[in-house]
Amino acid sequence: MTSISSAVLGLRKTAVSRAFGSWLGRIAGGFLILLVLTAIFAPWIIPFDYAKQDLMNGNAPPGWPHLLGTDQFGRDVLSRVIYGARTSLSVSATAISISVSVGMALGAAAGYFGGFFERAVMTVVDLTWSFPDILIALIFVAIIGPGLTSTTFAIAIAYLAQFTRLTRAQIVRLKGETFIEATINLGAKPSHILLKHLLPNAIAPVIVVGMLAIGDGIVLEATLGFFGLGAQPPTPSWGAMMSSGTAQLFLSPWVIIFPGVAVAVTVIAVNLFGDELIRALDIRDRIKGA
Amino acid sequence: MTNKLEVRNLSKRFTISGGPFRKARAMHAVNDVSFDLVSGRVVGVVGESGCGKSTLARLILRLIEPSNGSVKLDGSDLRAKTPAQMRALRADMQMVFQDPYSAIDPRYTIARAVMEPFEVQGRKPTGTEEEEVDKLLNMVGLNPGLASSFPHQLSGGQKQRVGIARALALRPSLLVLDEPTASLDVSVQAQIISLLEQLRDDLGLTYLFISHDLSLVRYFCDEIMVMYLGRVVEALPDTNAAARHPYTATLMDSTFAPDPKLRRIIAPLEGEVPSPFDLPPGCAFAERCPRAAAICRNETPILSTQDSHPVACHHPL
Repeated sequence: MTSISSAVLGLRKTAVSRAFGSWLGRIAGGFLILLVLTAIFAPWIIPFDYAKQDLMNGNAPPGWPHLLGTDQFGRDVLSRVIYGARTSLSVSATAISISVSVGMALGAAAGYFGGFFERAVMTVVDLTWSFPDILIALIFVAIIGPGLTSTTFAIAIAYLAQFTRLTRAQIVRLKGETFIEATINLGAKPSHILLKHLLPNAIAPVIVVGMLAIGDGIVLEATLGFFGLGAQPPTPSWGAMMSSGTAQLFLSPWVIIFPGVAVAVTVIAVNLFGDELIRALDIRDRIKGA
Repeated sequence: MTNKLEVRNLSKRFTISGGPFRKARAMHAVNDVSFDLVSGRVVGVVGESGCGKSTLARLILRLIEPSNGSVKLDGSDLRAKTPAQMRALRADMQMVFQDPYSAIDPRYTIARAVMEPFEVQGRKPTGTEEEEVDKLLNMVGLNPGLASSFPHQLSGGQKQRVGIARALALRPSLLVLDEPTASLDVSVQAQIISLLEQLRDDLGLTYLFISHDLSLVRYFCDEIMVMYLGRVVEALPDTNAAARHPYTATLMDSTFAPDPKLRRIIAPLEGEVPSPFDLPPGCAFAERCPRAAAICRNETPILSTQDSHPVACHHPL
């Protein structure tokens, strides 16, 4: 475990600081840090209670005191967008963490042990990959019912294939390296080979692709929220806010525009920063190889 | 005169399974190889690339499972060992690899790489870890100051010295050297070879030295086995022995002498090495052999075992 965490720490020390080296990386990275801080400290930042209704003051345009206006129930849109960042980021980050962990375990086992186990895992994984992410997530939510937990698991399953394939490709490539054979010849157990050599060398591209996938996860969470399958009212999520805004699209467009802008800017920032990380780590080829 | 290693009828067949549109094919990478390696001696294995030298090394160390035959280390059969026994036994039989550039994990410092054998075997060095790292690096002629470097900061020769230090960390008695100098510059080659000679004398090691370079093998080894397409075709009892097999003769004839007075026309071998898949009956060298007769194309010659200079040829020189 120490070597895995040190691998991640090593990634942070060198590659992340290099990703911050370009102005694009600095802007995207700075925005993401700000966003995470906003999500964490949301309860202390929001100017109004995100759930407090003020029906006399519904659909108020942006102005004072509601900087981004109010929705049909008179709830402050700014407060709800800020609080929605919590939902979107935590659901997406949790889902992708589950996806990365399970995908790495499956992919590493498949790549290392090979044979029937590998074929079984890869067949199932390729099968799920041949469906669009949203379809898999929808089927899953339809089975276990709407809510934040099921959204999280649905997103985790929708992206599982990608991390399993990527990890397996890394492990298969590394297995042919001389240092693996040399370490086996020292008398190393399979667990030593996997945990001390294969995974630490395979982890960087998987982590970076995982970071990029958080952006996709935010979009998927918003989509499920838009269908009313994600966070249940009154908990705000960007997707659900847009969904409720469609009814007054022309009367009060700010209700749908601001959460939409939040999704777009966040995803752009995640992708830009992810690209900078890939460049800094020089792993573009290894990611494409999957 | 105890035998460190006894190899009997060792064979490895790789099969490519058939499908609806192709038939299954078998490739004999190593075919019926038998020899003894006497403790403290250096046996060389020479042959062209693809003749099964490296497969033979991996079969002997049981890094791949043989299809047939047995390997005994100090008289005990390696194929009878359980995986756990085999892992413990590996401390006594180590290997130096051809490609020093990928022989060390790029994430490991040199100190961590040379201490990994102790970690893997659950052993403690006699002194502190730092002392052991210094001792090992000194032993292979590396500056102990390199201990905290990463592999990419080292030259090929330095990396190969690290590979040797790793192999010797657990004080094995048998070292298999799989073309340890093939990817190094000539000047560095000489340094590595003299290091290996010195280590053999200091530590009383037994070497199996695999190379495609006949002149290097003749310089370094006590006995030489010549391989052609998975078979041993000749076992030279000493390095000055004259070739009896036409293939060995051609190999010896193809080495260049660094003396313009000895300049001569080298008659290169004609033809290509046949495909190791589905070998025809008879001697594998028959198609390229100047002495080939009808019997060579029908009957596979057997390496005599009684002879002091065994050769697998119907018409030896």
